[in-house]
Amino acid sequence: MTNLISIENLSMTYGSPARPILSGIDMSIAEGEFVCVLGQTGCGKSTLLRLVLGSEQPTRGQVLVDGERHLRPDWTRGYVPQKYALFPDRTVLDNITFGPEVREFNLFTRMMPRFFRRRRELRMHAMDYLMRIGLREADATKYPDQLSGGMQQRVAIAQALMTQPRILLMDEAFSALDPGTRRDMQKLIRQLWRDTRTTVLFVTHNTQEALSMATRVVVLAKEDPAHGSRVMLDMALNQPCREDEMPRLIAKVEGVCGSSRDPESALFSGEELPDKILL
Amino acid sequence: MTSAFSLIHSKPGRTFDTALSWLLFAAGVGIYLYVAQARHAENPEERVTPTVTQMVNGFTDAALKPAEDDEATLPENASVFRRFPASMLWKDTKATSRRFFYSMLLLIPAVLLGLHMGLFPYVRVFFLRFILFFDKIVALSLLPILFIAFGIDELSKVMLIVIGVTPTIILDTFNLARGIPPEQVTKAFTLGAGDFDVAYRVVLKQLMPNVLNSIRLNLKAVMLFLFAGEMIASTDGLAYRIALLRRHMGMEIIIPYVLWVALLLFLVDLSMRVINRKLHPWFREA
Repeated sequence: MTNLISIENLSMTYGSPARPILSGIDMSIAEGEFVCVLGQTGCGKSTLLRLVLGSEQPTRGQVLVDGERHLRPDWTRGYVPQKYALFPDRTVLDNITFGPEVREFNLFTRMMPRFFRRRRELRMHAMDYLMRIGLREADATKYPDQLSGGMQQRVAIAQALMTQPRILLMDEAFSALDPGTRRDMQKLIRQLWRDTRTTVLFVTHNTQEALSMATRVVVLAKEDPAHGSRVMLDMALNQPCREDEMPRLIAKVEGVCGSSRDPESALFSGEELPDKILL
Repeated sequence: MTSAFSLIHSKPGRTFDTALSWLLFAAGVGIYLYVAQARHAENPEERVTPTVTQMVNGFTDAALKPAEDDEATLPENASVFRRFPASMLWKDTKATSRRFFYSMLLLIPAVLLGLHMGLFPYVRVFFLRFILFFDKIVALSLLPILFIAFGIDELSKVMLIVIGVTPTIILDTFNLARGIPPEQVTKAFTLGAGDFDVAYRVVLKQLMPNVLNSIRLNLKAVMLFLFAGEMIASTDGLAYRIALLRRHMGMEIIIPYVLWVALLLFLVDLSMRVINRKLHPWFREA
């Protein structure tokens, strides 16, 4: 398989005085892989994703996508953030068709009859997507704030996939969802990945989630506070991951990161964090 | 022991709600009528607080009698529909509305500037400091300069409104644009949008309801500056008439004129609210 994403000696610092976030990250992601990046809160997982996205530039090193540096986000890399980020002024269907519409028509060509013909086609295509992601026809005309979190995230995934990106970048995409919805979404994204073979880079701090979806898990962690995070574990997985294998793999991943009692920053191996810690 | 009654959680019933919301209007009218009657009982020539009849007569004259310069043009028995367009009230309303309309048009570039400042760092750097300074200038203090620079015609009055209101609208739009979640902008790029697609098809569309609300809140400021200009240097307009009648103690026309201006402004505000709701059905007011 050819390398689609090459991350070469990547370092990133923030602020002044410089606070190191990532130090000397080297990794390659082949076309069609499903890679989960794991790590504690603040280890730089999302920073790594933003660097691949092109919305930030590294302090040192480079990210090559298909052999090229990208200095800004573009349609070759789809993006699904934690907070859905749907356009609140557009209906579900308009959100899904936004990508192809904006790519094919500018402010002026939108006035032409060709636009309306193409729009009808796109809407029919979007309806197919809507059904595939488990929404109903009646949801098509709803606005995002009329949908539950899970439904919004389904729409966000359909929106990103509608442009047929080569890479799908997902930043803690399911962390705001309840455990049941989260499981459904994990199944959905696996199914979509199997169907489309889009390369997926999925950032999460939930070990079980990563192990149940990815074909490869990359763990980022800091060896000491003075330096940024490095790749501490890069492990290929056979999917689906066997149930009896799970505890061993979780122990392996968490052994690399070290344990933490802080529920905000710890890697989380279970399905959900407790609502309250009773003392 | 805690009280079972909480002011924050109590909610007036529908009838009580309506009655309570009209109470201050009723009290205002009641107090005025009482004071007017008392003063007229004391002095039948009293002019500061005209009676309702005097005000109705004054307003009818203003609305149906021709303006000074049109006096000869209408026949005696002309209908109301012919007399109103030739009246003093219509002439003044038309002049003020024209200036108001120009000022509203000039708010469009202000909104666009605020949008670009909020999205494009170079535009922000170039304009922000200047606009922040400009916003602190008391527009009315510039009035003499404006009259010298632009003369006493329409331009100086419109410029007064522009200087008085546009910095607020620019800064409001700027802050609203900055408030758009960055993930949304990033996502728009990943869907294939360019800079101007993001500005006009993503951000501006989302801002519009709040921008319209911001303009609604500034309607009074627009009218304030417009009235200041008209009162000082004008030959027509609602404020010109009020200033003119003040010299003659024409309170029987001034008070209805003030209420007429309030009514017009209320109608503009109401129509903007309705348009906002119709154009942006997705928008939920905070």
